[in-house]
Amino acid sequence: MNIVLRELKANARSLFFWCVFIVFFIYMGIAKFQAFVSTGQDITAMLESMPQGLMDALQMNAFNLTTITGFFGVMFSYFALMATIFAVLLGNGIIAKEEREKTVEFALTLPIPRSQLVTGKVVAAVVNCILFTLVMWGGSYVSAQPYNPDTEFFQFLTMMIGSIFILELVFLAVGVLLGAAMKDYKRSGSVAVFLLLFTFILSIVSGMSENLEFTKYLSPFTYFAPLTLMNESKFEPLSLGLSAAIVVVSLIAAYMAYSKRDLYI
Amino acid sequence: MTIFIHELKMKLRSVLVWSFSITALLILFASIFGTVAEEMDLLNEVLANYPPELLAAFGWDNMDMGTVLGFFAFAFSFIQIMISIQAANYGYSLVSVEERELTADFLLAKPLPRRKILTSKLLAALAALWITFAVLCIVSVIAVNGYAEGRSYDGGTLAKVLSSVLFLQLFFLMGGLAVSLLLKKVPSVISISLGTVFGMYVLAAFGSGMGEDTVDYLTPFKHFEATEIVRTGQFDLPKISISIAVIVIAAIASYLLYQRRDIPTV
Repeated sequence: MNIVLRELKANARSLFFWCVFIVFFIYMGIAKFQAFVSTGQDITAMLESMPQGLMDALQMNAFNLTTITGFFGVMFSYFALMATIFAVLLGNGIIAKEEREKTVEFALTLPIPRSQLVTGKVVAAVVNCILFTLVMWGGSYVSAQPYNPDTEFFQFLTMMIGSIFILELVFLAVGVLLGAAMKDYKRSGSVAVFLLLFTFILSIVSGMSENLEFTKYLSPFTYFAPLTLMNESKFEPLSLGLSAAIVVVSLIAAYMAYSKRDLYI
Repeated sequence: MTIFIHELKMKLRSVLVWSFSITALLILFASIFGTVAEEMDLLNEVLANYPPELLAAFGWDNMDMGTVLGFFAFAFSFIQIMISIQAANYGYSLVSVEERELTADFLLAKPLPRRKILTSKLLAALAALWITFAVLCIVSVIAVNGYAEGRSYDGGTLAKVLSSVLFLQLFFLMGGLAVSLLLKKVPSVISISLGTVFGMYVLAAFGSGMGEDTVDYLTPFKHFEATEIVRTGQFDLPKISISIAVIVIAAIASYLLYQRRDIPTV
């Protein structure tokens, strides 16, 4: 418990900055939306005539950008990218920072097993993710109010925030694993981010070309397609299963690696 | 010279990884050009029926992914982000790494003035960035010629698009260095450099919706927008001069700040 509290305190400032950043981002997005609305044209027909591959590339899909729901659908991948960067850095940093700041000896001489230390840190990180996601949800909710959102919007927003939270957990677990398992604590952060950006770009490109269709399952970002979320309002069982598998396997591997970790002092 | 060689050696692996990922990304994009070009012809027919004001609101008025360089500019915006993250990483860690690893007092005890130490470090970082740039140029030319398959394009414009990278590198290297010297402590380089680069990128991508030109001046991604360079065939000089001014100010500030920096002893 002490570790959880200590970690929450230590991460409070960074969490605050991330929250400010995401609120600012939502504000910028809504300002852009305002510009779309003010053109006052129905662009549904135009969007529907677009070639599919191109829409995927531009992350536009077949959304009607002049409705608030359609707009958030397009913003989905940006939100997901920010949230997962937050999560992967958090998960990695919360483990790796002890060696970076030369406090690892101190932390590990505490009269608790290493696994308990990791648990405390993971719990604190998950709490951070929950708070961050809530801020994102609140910001979106409030900023959508002036545009008369309907029930469809709130349903979609819930689905969207839900999938972003799952993505956060996936990358949090991957971050923790890299922090615990990689020998070089200096490099683990970069590797984590590299992996994240790689899977993100892969998710864009896999939609653009049929030859790359097989890469679909390699990237968690493709598990939650905003258009499907909007039309069906439910998660695909396969996506949920794959996400859960990544989280569980990463965490188990992280515990195993950390309990045997040779420390850099 | 010793510092320079040591620094460069430390960065060698990172340069390799960055060059490799940039190469992989370019090859990936080159491989999908055929599909996109076909669809673009279709799209251009559709778009011709829509009012220009509407297209402008979406930024689709000057999007032309069907041409060789238009598509390259699209791919290049991703490359610009990667290059900027690399440069920001080097900038933020250039001096702060010594303090984090508790080697700052060792380094500063060497019989060299601080400005010489900083110069050696900066030159090493620049050399590392320029190696990446050279790889990028070679791969770009090969990739463009590969997917163009006989379609013609303007070599001068391609060179201009590529050279925008040199400015972005300097911007984020110098900016990162200056900010890291303003801070008492840089806890995590990767978080702060990602924050800077993505913050700037978001400003560039969404700022135009705010209906003001002000944000255009704030972010270097707007000063060196690849699609704009391809469309007009030249740099936007007033905007570029802002970036250059930031680079110069950051460089001067870094030397002044490092000269007087308080180094904690271990």
